[in-house]
Amino acid sequence: MIDAYLLKLRARDAVSEEEEEAIRSLFSEVKEVAADKTVVRAGERLHFSIMLLDGLLCRYKDLRDGSRQISELHVAGDFADLHGFTLKKLDHSVMTLTPCRIALAPHERIRAVATEHPHLARLFWLTTNIDAAIHREWVLSLGRRTALARVAHLFCELRERLAIVGLADETGFELSLTQTDIAECMGLTPVHVNRTLRELRERGLVEFRSRRVTILDLAGLKRVAEFDPGYLDLEPEPR
Amino acid sequence: MPLYYFNIYNGNGLTEDEEGRELPDLEPARLEALQGIRSILAEDVLQGRLDLRGRIDVLDEHEETLFSVAFREALEIKDAVPAADNAG
Repeated sequence: MIDAYLLKLRARDAVSEEEEEAIRSLFSEVKEVAADKTVVRAGERLHFSIMLLDGLLCRYKDLRDGSRQISELHVAGDFADLHGFTLKKLDHSVMTLTPCRIALAPHERIRAVATEHPHLARLFWLTTNIDAAIHREWVLSLGRRTALARVAHLFCELRERLAIVGLADETGFELSLTQTDIAECMGLTPVHVNRTLRELRERGLVEFRSRRVTILDLAGLKRVAEFDPGYLDLEPEPR
Repeated sequence: MPLYYFNIYNGNGLTEDEEGRELPDLEPARLEALQGIRSILAEDVLQGRLDLRGRIDVLDEHEETLFSVAFREALEIKDAVPAADNAG
């Protein structure tokens, strides 16, 4: 059930069998949620955090006119709102972009596991730090990258993150996002995303069709994106 | 909600919309086209160029063209008074 999460942690540090058991004990319930459902509403009091087992979730904020900024995408194995454990309420909402399977970790269980296993507490901290690093990289995209480089960078990041949990390889990955979703991630419009995807395709870098991202030239795509996976902290070492 | 497609015609030829978007009716569809054009042109301006020779055709779910929006319609342009003023 939490295999993806363990892969994600073990890409950064060793996790013992005892710790693995402790992680398994975090979860009280598994739920199936349809696409386009808000699972955490900004401001509501939180008593559990959500582990994504399958599907895609996003963090988002809206303006009054309905325009939306997605600030992070979550893939299988992400503890999507672990920061809700310390914050107790979020400044953003979390919604499903595809049908999702999620597991709920009651906050009292997170507290107990973190108290009994300080190393796991540090790994929980690490993963929220990685989320923060992803946010900073998106700020760079939104503030400074061209539309072409933004979309290229998003595909590079997702490929890297999905590869950790066995859902991507050098040739590509399944991605059940619409052009509207990509526009809301990268501060563009769906029409602009469509034109940008065409340019990426014509340059022979990447193709996004029928819910699959096909990488045509990974080195070239990374070059256009100025993608350096360092911010994803993929070197295993003691934490 | 009805499905609309937004095909872009500009210097690069046709960029077909294979996905489409569900919108309540024609007015939001027109706004979607206008915002799309503004987003594309804004990016061009940041790179120091502005090419207004383009349009978006809005199609219905049967791929019948409902209307077109010229790039030029998406902007209110106020140009500087040429020559005389600048020369001073």
